[in-house]
Amino acid sequence: MQSLSVSSFCKRGVLLALGILLASGSHAQQQDFSKVKIEALKVRDNIYMLVGSGGNITLQIGADGVLIVDTQYAELSDRILAKIRELSKGPIRYIIDTHHHADHTGGNAKLRAAGMTVSGGNVGGDIADAGAGAQIIAHENALLHMTAPPAAGQPAIPSAALPTLTYFTPKKDLWFNGEGIRIMYEPNAHTDGDSIVYFRQSDVISSGDVYVTNQYPFIDIANGGSIQGIIAAANNIIDLIIPVYGQDGGTLVIPGHGRLSDIGDVINYREMLTIIRDRIADMIRKGMTLEQVKAAKPTQDYDPRWGASSGFWTTTQFVEAVYKNLSTAQGK
Amino acid sequence: MMKLFRFAIALGLYAGVAVAQPPGPGPQGPATGKAAAPHDITGYWVAVVTEDWRYRMITAKAGDYPGINLTPAAQLVANAWDPAKDIAAGNVCKAYGAGGLLRLPTRLHITWASDNVLSIETDAGKQKRLFKFGAAQDGAGAGTLQGVSKARWDLQRERAFGPVVNGTLEVVTTQMAPGYVRKNGVPYGEGAKLTEYYETVKEDNGEQFLIVIANLEDAANLAQPVLTSTNFKREPDGKKWDPSECTAK
Amino acid sequence: MNSLIRSVLLLALAAGSCLLSSAAMSEKNLAGVWVGTYSEDWPDRFPGPELGDYAGLPINDADRLRALSWSASLIALPEYQCRVHPSDYANSFADIRLWEERDPITEKLIALHLQHFAWQTRRTIWMDGREHPPEYAQHTSMGFSTGQWDGQVLTIHTTHLKEGWLRRNGAARSDKATVTEHFIRHGDILTWTVVVNDPIYLEEPFIRNRDYRYSVDNQVANYACDSVVEMVRAPGYIPHHLPGTNEDVKIFAETHGIPYKAAMGGAATMYPEYIKVIRSLPVPSPR
Repeated sequence: MQSLSVSSFCKRGVLLALGILLASGSHAQQQDFSKVKIEALKVRDNIYMLVGSGGNITLQIGADGVLIVDTQYAELSDRILAKIRELSKGPIRYIIDTHHHADHTGGNAKLRAAGMTVSGGNVGGDIADAGAGAQIIAHENALLHMTAPPAAGQPAIPSAALPTLTYFTPKKDLWFNGEGIRIMYEPNAHTDGDSIVYFRQSDVISSGDVYVTNQYPFIDIANGGSIQGIIAAANNIIDLIIPVYGQDGGTLVIPGHGRLSDIGDVINYREMLTIIRDRIADMIRKGMTLEQVKAAKPTQDYDPRWGASSGFWTTTQFVEAVYKNLSTAQGK
Repeated sequence: MMKLFRFAIALGLYAGVAVAQPPGPGPQGPATGKAAAPHDITGYWVAVVTEDWRYRMITAKAGDYPGINLTPAAQLVANAWDPAKDIAAGNVCKAYGAGGLLRLPTRLHITWASDNVLSIETDAGKQKRLFKFGAAQDGAGAGTLQGVSKARWDLQRERAFGPVVNGTLEVVTTQMAPGYVRKNGVPYGEGAKLTEYYETVKEDNGEQFLIVIANLEDAANLAQPVLTSTNFKREPDGKKWDPSECTAK
Repeated sequence: MNSLIRSVLLLALAAGSCLLSSAAMSEKNLAGVWVGTYSEDWPDRFPGPELGDYAGLPINDADRLRALSWSASLIALPEYQCRVHPSDYANSFADIRLWEERDPITEKLIALHLQHFAWQTRRTIWMDGREHPPEYAQHTSMGFSTGQWDGQVLTIHTTHLKEGWLRRNGAARSDKATVTEHFIRHGDILTWTVVVNDPIYLEEPFIRNRDYRYSVDNQVANYACDSVVEMVRAPGYIPHHLPGTNEDVKIFAETHGIPYKAAMGGAATMYPEYIKVIRSLPVPSPR
């Protein structure tokens, strides 16, 4: 049975992840956005989910203005703004980035510019960047990734698109539009800079890509992602949720991609990931190589629902990522 | 005023009768079963066995009949079931009587034997049931496994004087020879009454199902009626028709 | 006087028509309490289906692996204890109550509502021709249902279902499934047919019926469910069986003398010709 050293594993992993990063950057450039329509789904009285292309956007509106979670692609900003204006004329005060990927932050610059920082009256003129646009909040690691030297051939992210306010503690709170909003760090999940956002009074969670409904979650190993972290994040979301009797409601979850969800959907997602992780972990314990694990098809029962044989993130890539994560964790 | 009132009642009754009658040649008299049929039930149908699988696709052991409430006397009979005795007594087809026939895994071939007689043949056990409408109801078949089946169309209209939009085939069968409602010897007797409703539904993918809702009553053997609904899927032709003899087990 | 005569004529005409023609339309009223009957599938519906019994289910290999990996201990986890039966499975047991919602001015039927005893689930079947929501809207255990009458058959289309089950022994039904149902009433008998179309886990559509009898005096009881910690487990623990390790799935086949392959289900097991296959397969020895 062939075994690989940790260093060669890591090299392969980094190369794989870099390839994915390149793909994610170029993915947006190759996409045709001309036919993309931005739709709004009312989640609660003051919370909307916007779907278009890229990650879902969460919108909170009220007397204080507008708060946005994630901003999709830059090419869609005008349409996103137009949809926001259908729902609220208030100023965009805050943008929260759940992580640094382009399909969630591409619209940062334009949507920030369309907004304004909370300031006004006599004090407004004293603050140099007052009125310079909305605040962009993210975990510190997300900012670090966005300011890292770009991959060859890729442009640097403009400073106007960068988070203006970061945190490095387990959580960050703010009060806006009459409710407490808790931004929580989910370490080493989809990336190492993930935040989930909990609107406490509205009882809605924006999960970013730690929870999705359309495919196996993308584990961005090169940027600190891990299967254990994604499962832990799903468990944390479940802990936060208080369901209505029968579980068809209560706390609602806006996923990074996919449909509006409740605890039942997150439980199914967590169950799927845990079972796959356990199977691959068991195979690693038995000394199986990556090729042997892939041949054993540990995801066979979930592939028709969550898998993909082509595109940005395939079943094979998912299995490889889980294998590499767990192999590293087990010291192989 | 009373004359006027009586005239109006009579007019209303006449209208009601006209509504309740099946469509058909008015001046010639009531329509035949075939002419009155609101849809075409003829053709080949295959049983889709998704319920009671281990009682229908294989034969369960004697005494295994949960969900069927038998009288104490019938329980003794069911628990003592021995297929060898049925074979020896020439009763190998006892489970193929009208009371249990359509619960067996079988294909159906439905045709009009005549304008007022609908024939249902099964390839399992090579049985034939005759559903007789109106004037054709003559009592023939009394004492046989398939008994005497009287049929009618229950037609449905969307409004009082509107056209027929759908209909149910309703069949009442009596005078059957004793048989088995389940193949492992669960009995019904000659006093049993079987009421069936035949419905057809069409799915979005074009498949058509025949749903046979059957209520079997038999005070001597069944402490409660046996109510079942059995599904058949239409087949394009008889290519899979595969007649087989009765089996006692 | 003329208007009086007219009124009398109309009244009498209506009365006369009602005497003979009402039977042809009366079956459309489904309202009332319906008591479940269990002449079919009793072991499946009450004690519950046995492990390893997928016979007669048109499941594919993916669903088979889901079922073989499933552990009943899952239901002991607090977040699973009060999960409701989805609308396409709910008719497997217990009583139901149906009632109409009509426009108070026009009497037009807006919706039918169905209350089911188990977990007190309540579903709405929209009868007013409304559209189904977009795919990205929330999915629920009851789904989103619209219905229409075809004669006396009520046909219902349901989308937006959360993941559920075909049998409660692990045979899953995906959240991509759509369901067609037919409610058919004959006198005091109600037949509820469910056809599940699942592109993820089924080789063919899965059809199943349940029958009810009308009750004049039954009530549908309430159903309280409260999640508790029954066993202390490590956080995030999910009970399941690694592939190929659950020997208990063979008990059903061994107990009833059914070939293992037949017990594993698949579309072929639904049809009469499969009997020949069964007879050609080895029968396991009783355990």
